[in-house]
Amino acid sequence: MNMKNRTYENSVHFYGIIWDVAALLLFIMLPISICVHLGVWPQGSYVLKGLLPVAMLFYPSAIIEVITYTPLLGAGGTYLSFVTGNITNLKLPCGLNAMENAGVRANSEQGEVISTIAIATSSIVTTVIIAVGVVVFSPVLPYLTDENSVFAPAFQQVVPALFGALGISYFVKHWKIAVVPVTAIVLILLFQGTLATGVLIPIGVVISMLAAHLMFKKGWLDK
Amino acid sequence: MDFKSDGFMYCLGAVVVLFVIAQSVFFLVRAWRRGKALGISAESLKKTVTSSALFTVAPAFAILATVLTLSGALGIVLPWIRLTVIGAINYEVPAAEAAIEAFGGAGGMSQEVTDPTVFATVAWVMTLGSILPLILVPFMLKKIQKGMSKAAAKNGKWADVMSAAAFIGLISAFIGRAIAGKGDAQIIGDGAGVMSLAALLSSMLFMFILQKIADKFHLKWLQSFAMPFSMILAMLVVMVLAQVLPQNIAVFEWRG
Repeated sequence: MNMKNRTYENSVHFYGIIWDVAALLLFIMLPISICVHLGVWPQGSYVLKGLLPVAMLFYPSAIIEVITYTPLLGAGGTYLSFVTGNITNLKLPCGLNAMENAGVRANSEQGEVISTIAIATSSIVTTVIIAVGVVVFSPVLPYLTDENSVFAPAFQQVVPALFGALGISYFVKHWKIAVVPVTAIVLILLFQGTLATGVLIPIGVVISMLAAHLMFKKGWLDK
Repeated sequence: MDFKSDGFMYCLGAVVVLFVIAQSVFFLVRAWRRGKALGISAESLKKTVTSSALFTVAPAFAILATVLTLSGALGIVLPWIRLTVIGAINYEVPAAEAAIEAFGGAGGMSQEVTDPTVFATVAWVMTLGSILPLILVPFMLKKIQKGMSKAAAKNGKWADVMSAAAFIGLISAFIGRAIAGKGDAQIIGDGAGVMSLAALLSSMLFMFILQKIADKFHLKWLQSFAMPFSMILAMLVVMVLAQVLPQNIAVFEWRG
């Protein structure tokens, strides 16, 4: 069993890295082919000028993302998620929900399998919906998402609706752990309301884990 | 034909879509086989697929809406490609803005990009700014996981608590924003307000009730659908409130 475990895990990493590198090459090919097709080659200085402010903000957060999400996503889920993106608003909650439903732990092999299946399904469905939407519905959709359409307010609140439902099942089970990070984040936002979720997530995760660790040591989490 | 959405661009989009689907199917099939070998029932695996697919529908439409939002400035194909791979609105918009501003375009994304050079620069910046995780993952993933499993093996109960705490920390960032986050004063629907709180609380309530019903009557199927149902119901509540409430209350955002 142990030998077999290792084989599956290793194979996930082996193929994962191949797909990862292939994705990297494909993504670099995109702007290159656009340049070839349009016959324009923007000067490096303009690209750098545009890239610099973005990189300053997003490169550190990319490092934090990889460190924070990989233990939650599992290996297969990680290789998939970092190619298809939309991790916090889709892939991660989807994987968590699936593991919760199946009653498996995140860092078990069953968790790995369930999370990979959930994230792969989610990637396929997202890609198909976006592609079909772009090709077929593009003439109609502006009316749906138009600021004045009846659907617009609902689309703006997808994220609270998602995390409310996901949150409550955790809060019911672990309300003692939840009190500290939720309070802390709300307090931080009262002072610095514009902080983006990309900044708040690592703060929330660190505070939550610290508090949980202390409570665990004090024996407050024993039932 | 607009160069931003000509046949060539659509072909690029198709290639990316095929790549993503191929990769997902590859991992899906392998995980499925492994799951069976581990003794997870086919029913449980199937339920994971259906509930994940359902779960994805609403956020996917939200992403589609983002594509359309960006298509005003960039045409529909580039945002489509970007949001199919890696992209997320909180990254793509600043990246595109920064690239356009590098050329001195003060209007940023509010105006349509008509210069091919600017368009190509936007594509480069969007790409280069977002590929770092793909470079990091091969180097870091194994090490992080080894550290995790060592800690887990050493102290199972503690590892469970810490992993729940990590999830909760992440969730609190989003819940905190729905309660007290500040948006752009010019934009409706991005800051904490009546609507975000209505969505948050009603989806919590629906989820709580649905889970109680599922537990009480041992409805296993309902357990997997509780989450997507709660989301969609909460969004319906928001839609209804937006119609029923007086306009100034419905769009009120206490933090702007």
